[in-house]
Amino acid sequence: MMADGYTGKILRVDLTSEKITTDNLNREWAKQFLGGKGLGARYLFEELKPGVDAMSPDNILSIWTGPAAGTMVPLTSRFVVVTKSPLTGTFLDSYAGGFLAPEIKYSGFDGIIIKGKAKKPVYLWITDSKAELRDAKNLWGKDTYKTEELVRKEVGHKYARVASIGPAGEKLGLISSVTADLTRNAGRGGTGAVFGSKNLKAVAAKGTMGVEVDNMDEFVKMAKEMILKDVVENPDHAGMITDGTPIIVDMSQNAALLPTKNWSSGEWEGSAGINSDALKSRVLVRKKACFDCAIACGSWSKVKKGLFKGATTEGPEYETLGMCGSNCGIKNIEAVVKFAEDCDRLGLDTISSGNVTGLAIDLYERGVLTKKDTGGLELKWGNEEAYGKMPAMIANRQHIGAVLADGAKRAAKKIGKGAEKLVVESKGLEYPAYDPRGTIGMALAYATSDRGACHMRAWPVAADAYGSGDPWSPEGKAAICVEDQTRTSVKWSFIFCDFYSVNFANMAKYYTAVTGAKSSEEHMREIGKRIWNLTRAFNVREGFARNDDNLPERMEKDPLSSGKTKGKSVPRVDFERMLEEYYKLWGWDAQGRPTKKALEEAGLKDIVPKLSYLK
Amino acid sequence: MSKGLKADLAKCTGCQLCALVCSGTHVGKFNPSESRISVEDVFPEPGEFKLSYCTHCDEHPCVESCPVEAIKLNEGLGTYYVDKEACTGCGACVEACPYNGCWMDPSGAYAIKCDLCEGNPQCVEVCPKGVLKR
Repeated sequence: MMADGYTGKILRVDLTSEKITTDNLNREWAKQFLGGKGLGARYLFEELKPGVDAMSPDNILSIWTGPAAGTMVPLTSRFVVVTKSPLTGTFLDSYAGGFLAPEIKYSGFDGIIIKGKAKKPVYLWITDSKAELRDAKNLWGKDTYKTEELVRKEVGHKYARVASIGPAGEKLGLISSVTADLTRNAGRGGTGAVFGSKNLKAVAAKGTMGVEVDNMDEFVKMAKEMILKDVVENPDHAGMITDGTPIIVDMSQNAALLPTKNWSSGEWEGSAGINSDALKSRVLVRKKACFDCAIACGSWSKVKKGLFKGATTEGPEYETLGMCGSNCGIKNIEAVVKFAEDCDRLGLDTISSGNVTGLAIDLYERGVLTKKDTGGLELKWGNEEAYGKMPAMIANRQHIGAVLADGAKRAAKKIGKGAEKLVVESKGLEYPAYDPRGTIGMALAYATSDRGACHMRAWPVAADAYGSGDPWSPEGKAAICVEDQTRTSVKWSFIFCDFYSVNFANMAKYYTAVTGAKSSEEHMREIGKRIWNLTRAFNVREGFARNDDNLPERMEKDPLSSGKTKGKSVPRVDFERMLEEYYKLWGWDAQGRPTKKALEEAGLKDIVPKLSYLK
Repeated sequence: MSKGLKADLAKCTGCQLCALVCSGTHVGKFNPSESRISVEDVFPEPGEFKLSYCTHCDEHPCVESCPVEAIKLNEGLGTYYVDKEACTGCGACVEACPYNGCWMDPSGAYAIKCDLCEGNPQCVEVCPKGVLKR
């Protein structure tokens, strides 16, 4: 093993033939793409045949760590599921923290590439250079909490770390997630359905081999200083340390961009019941961290009384409070805790689940859906009892849940009667909890995100609605998106947590400390640009074009209804201007396709022959 | 009076930075399995963290239990440490300790326990929440 953070090994699993092999990590690619997102994208681009059905055995499911996972580089204990998304048809990278990534590394692997489909349900057990497929007959049908408990018993390790799917993934719901350590989800894009389509119930790991870095003494000195100065004392992290993401509820409410009642308003009269103060005073039990994290943004919460007494979750996080709280017309955090716990147990993405639940309530209120569709539930705004039953209905595909399980876009198409006009998505992925009508740069961020509408690629809201910029000016928004996408591409390859406000220079510092290789701010930027061009090229190869970088009709034609965003929308002309500027900044053509020149400059010359549009 | 680490568990968030720095400085690898402090996260119920480490208690039954006198006195600190070279890996100390303060290295070749890093415990220094004190 080289002492450079990497284990140097990739685990390859063919579920069809039940063959497991170990492969050497492509060291050249590791240099070019780092790990996580970048490395996963490079392998997927190389090995996935274009145009395959994401739910077929031909799709490739991979799990990656980063070079810093398992080390003391703070906030890097994350894994990413990289595959082709069955929800969007795009490249998909979905991340989760918790404790699994270091165990994969300590078991001797940088990544896992899974192909084919098992004849019957199985799970993958990895420990110290070895891996085996085990019968998952007794796990199938179980929720993720129970699955974790049973897997730990079976493999005989009290602290084996488990990522599993619940009933939602087993039933191939396209908004299903992969849940690790009870509450940490590789949530978006239907990762759970890809597991389910392969008859793969779980991946579990426990390793004792450790990870080595270039110079341990120097490394520890550097890491201790950085943890104190750049994490604990970093003013950017103050709110994350005291409150965690729920602090954003009030920020969004004040900026009037908090999704409310199926995206009809940016202000929620019940926001005080679901904000950070509500969390801290009503349900918080203790703060909880992922492995290697000095921030500990997680809030372990428990409902003390009422209808949902005893429900527990970590969080709820801002996205869940927004999409499953205000967007569903919910005023009490207790109900959101219960909804979040059910989503984790059943293996559902809360962002998508909140979107489809809000949509269903809206349609019920409009009379498009009736009690016949809801299994007798009075699915009205504020009916917490009915709302609380939605995750199970979606995961188990009961009643209207049968169509909601495949996301808002597909559900609305099946329901018809104007439902399509109420949906807010890009490339089929439902919007997360920042309404672009209160920060129009987010419309560009969502439209150009490689996995469909996502807030974790670019976040222009920080500089305008949450900062001092003009939220309705298209000026400069393209440049923010390009810069953010470049930086996050590197971050998601280390894999840093979103909540570490780490700059390029410090990422370079960490890279050198882990690998011993020289780096610089510019070196990190080059890697970020390379990765973003690669995932774009992947999507173009899958047939995506400018039309798919879409602005949902509602954002343009359906202004918000109250507060400082009352009457606001995203003017089409502004959106198109931002998009054109964005393509130009990346050096792509008018269709949003990376040009030969852009790819060559990004160090991607070798993929040019694989892109038919360049011939 | 025990001379070992003290922990305010209410502040613990389970990040395991203590175990990371411990393994890094003791064995030159990041590997919580080789750490002298162990962190357990017991969720969803009871929703707590547990820390295990040698408390350097006054009775030190580990010392008496060792058949080869491999647990030796660090005279400067007045505490006992495992001499890895002398240890035969019999596990008597692990059984003798009532506090779950020492355990076997993953190799099974020898026992490991907190040695207080020559008086400057690295876990205390790195703990971001002030859980650990000397």
